[in-house]
Amino acid sequence: MSILVTGIGIISAIGNNVNENRTSLINKASGITTLSLFNSRYAGLRPCGEIKIETTALKNRLNAFEKGVTRSSLLALHAFDEAVADAKLSLSQLQHPRTALIGASTVGGMCLTDELYHDANKTEDGSEYLSSYDCASVNLYLQERYKTGGIVNTINTACSSSANAIIYGARLLKQGYADIAIVGGTDSLAKFTINGFNALHILSPDPCTPFDRDRKGLNLGEAAAFLVLEKEENTKGKTVYAKIAGYGNSNDAFHPSSLSDAGDGPYLAMQQALSEAGLHPGSISYINAHGTATENNDAVESEAMLRLFGEVPDFASTKGYTGHTLGAAGAVEAVYSVLSLFYQEVYPNLNFQQPIENKELIPVPEYKKKSLRHVMSNSFGFGGNCSSLIFSTV
Amino acid sequence: MFIHHNKCISPQQTFEKTDWEVLHESVENKLKAIEPSYEGIPPGVLRRMGKAVRMGVGCALPVLQGVQADGIIIGTANGGMEDCIKFLNQIIDYEEGMLTPGNFVQSTPNVIAAQLGLMTRNKRYNITHVHRGLAFENAMLDASMMLHENPQAVYLLGAVDEISAYNYNIDHLNGWYKKEPVKSRNLYSSITEGSLAGEGAVMFTVSNQETNAVAKVKGFDTLHTTNEHTVKEALAAFLKKHLHADEKPGIFFTGENGDNRMLKYYSAAESVFDEATTIARFKHMSGEFETASAMALWLACNLPDRLPAHCIKKEGAANSAGNIIIYNNYKGVQHAFICVQKPVNNKE
Repeated sequence: MSILVTGIGIISAIGNNVNENRTSLINKASGITTLSLFNSRYAGLRPCGEIKIETTALKNRLNAFEKGVTRSSLLALHAFDEAVADAKLSLSQLQHPRTALIGASTVGGMCLTDELYHDANKTEDGSEYLSSYDCASVNLYLQERYKTGGIVNTINTACSSSANAIIYGARLLKQGYADIAIVGGTDSLAKFTINGFNALHILSPDPCTPFDRDRKGLNLGEAAAFLVLEKEENTKGKTVYAKIAGYGNSNDAFHPSSLSDAGDGPYLAMQQALSEAGLHPGSISYINAHGTATENNDAVESEAMLRLFGEVPDFASTKGYTGHTLGAAGAVEAVYSVLSLFYQEVYPNLNFQQPIENKELIPVPEYKKKSLRHVMSNSFGFGGNCSSLIFSTV
Repeated sequence: MFIHHNKCISPQQTFEKTDWEVLHESVENKLKAIEPSYEGIPPGVLRRMGKAVRMGVGCALPVLQGVQADGIIIGTANGGMEDCIKFLNQIIDYEEGMLTPGNFVQSTPNVIAAQLGLMTRNKRYNITHVHRGLAFENAMLDASMMLHENPQAVYLLGAVDEISAYNYNIDHLNGWYKKEPVKSRNLYSSITEGSLAGEGAVMFTVSNQETNAVAKVKGFDTLHTTNEHTVKEALAAFLKKHLHADEKPGIFFTGENGDNRMLKYYSAAESVFDEATTIARFKHMSGEFETASAMALWLACNLPDRLPAHCIKKEGAANSAGNIIIYNNYKGVQHAFICVQKPVNNKE
């Protein structure tokens, strides 16, 4: 049984919808800027992929005036609405007991760092956000708003969270637990993550340079993306973007916040995705790499790709456009991979100059049209949680 | 899906020398877990672990002894909340100054599954479900799907959540815990809003192998609704799906939690059963937390020959447990049913 992508939605620093995102990718237009809406002492010091719409403006735009809704939930709603409209799902389809909603987030409502600080440390006078801090709050909000009728779940495997949400949704369809799965992820900028990654010394003071020898770390970003998955037999007459051909999940089992030099986790995740898809390494046309531009990730991912592919296919990281959107990254890059397949084009890697020593891998430098059959998308996270997805043309 | 090895760290005597008769009571409206000495964890490692990670890892390691698990599947609403808020407090208190990343790295909910992968050198499937009151049920669905995909496999399936000063404050401010002092033994006679806070870790190995299993999970289902009639209809449909028409469950095990707002759901659910079925409760043992249903499942797997009186709400006529139906609801929105069958002559 084939699982097909019939709808996509995204909001990120390079656009408020799918078309704007694609245009930016084609034009090498990065969304990495100085923070202007988000208040942090690192605002001028650490560029980020910030979505330039204030939270109140998002609420107005989405007509989302429920109590206690956070920026993470609003971004999710924005992308969810676009994906659902794109797949032409009706409200009654959303409310059907066989329509699943599987989301992912790592920040959830913790974007409200100051409110959380207040509520967690006081014993009276709570804010309106008391039910909104955890990761599940996002999908519980979407469920409540549309009364979605099927299985609802939230996954957190750090930076590979939404890749695993996509995998879970695909498996629900395959095993007959749902007929439609709306899958994705969201994360907004938070003092929590900016300070966390900064304390680990992996936030770059400049726009990030994935796979470059002199890379200085990652830029954080905020985004949400959702995909609508349906079984092939239910997609007659619909626009079909791609098929989910394979997926893999492996743990690197090496260190809480860095990957092993040999890259066993990334290697095994990619290998498993290939085997699930019934493909050999040579059939992958393009890889949307995790490519965070940290010293550790890019060296390890290169090593794992070299081990698995020998001759590494065309690859690029899109983190130079959006920043690292953490729990949303897997879904964001799944949308980009699906767009690559649908339009038969490859989006370039930004800011690359010199290859990493001993790896000598050069990511795709310019936008190009290319005949693509199978695209791989990698997502690796803290705790060694590595996942890889393969999308194919239908 | 069959349950084999299993361990539970809870506010009751469940980890070593299980004893259901001795009831450990709540203190200041909290039922805190009785933590073991964690002999399998090196002291240096143990010191760096927050309570949720400690309980999760400490509970899982003995379950994994002698087992090469094909994956680690954990449900937790919050993971290590304590570390998370410690880092948050640093951010605010030091105005985003020089921070140490330790608490940050420990704060992500996937730390328990990750730490288990690291400590047992397990590079296979590894995932953390965080869907609040259905985090464990989604983990169980994941495990059940994995077993369908890999019929010979064995998975670690578990759940962990902790009471931290912080999540206690947040849920207390939100009216989910009792404002007046209530003892856990009097939980069900309380007529006010809110429950008692609880915590714990539960770990199982699950597989398709019936031999030596302690219990079989025949089915489970989840739903999101605030309507008690919908819950009742869903439960009736669930029973019809998993039991023969003449099969009466021995025990209906509910998550009734002393919160007067939740009673309508439990009353509606109880009305589905007749006099054959014993109605029993567990939240006076576990307290209320997002993954408390995992403890209910563990209790169902380890039922003593006679259910202790403190669990029984209404004694049924059936004289053997047979099928046990668990119903739990979290905050009146997230509902789950589990059908468990204890093999009668098939004990280890």
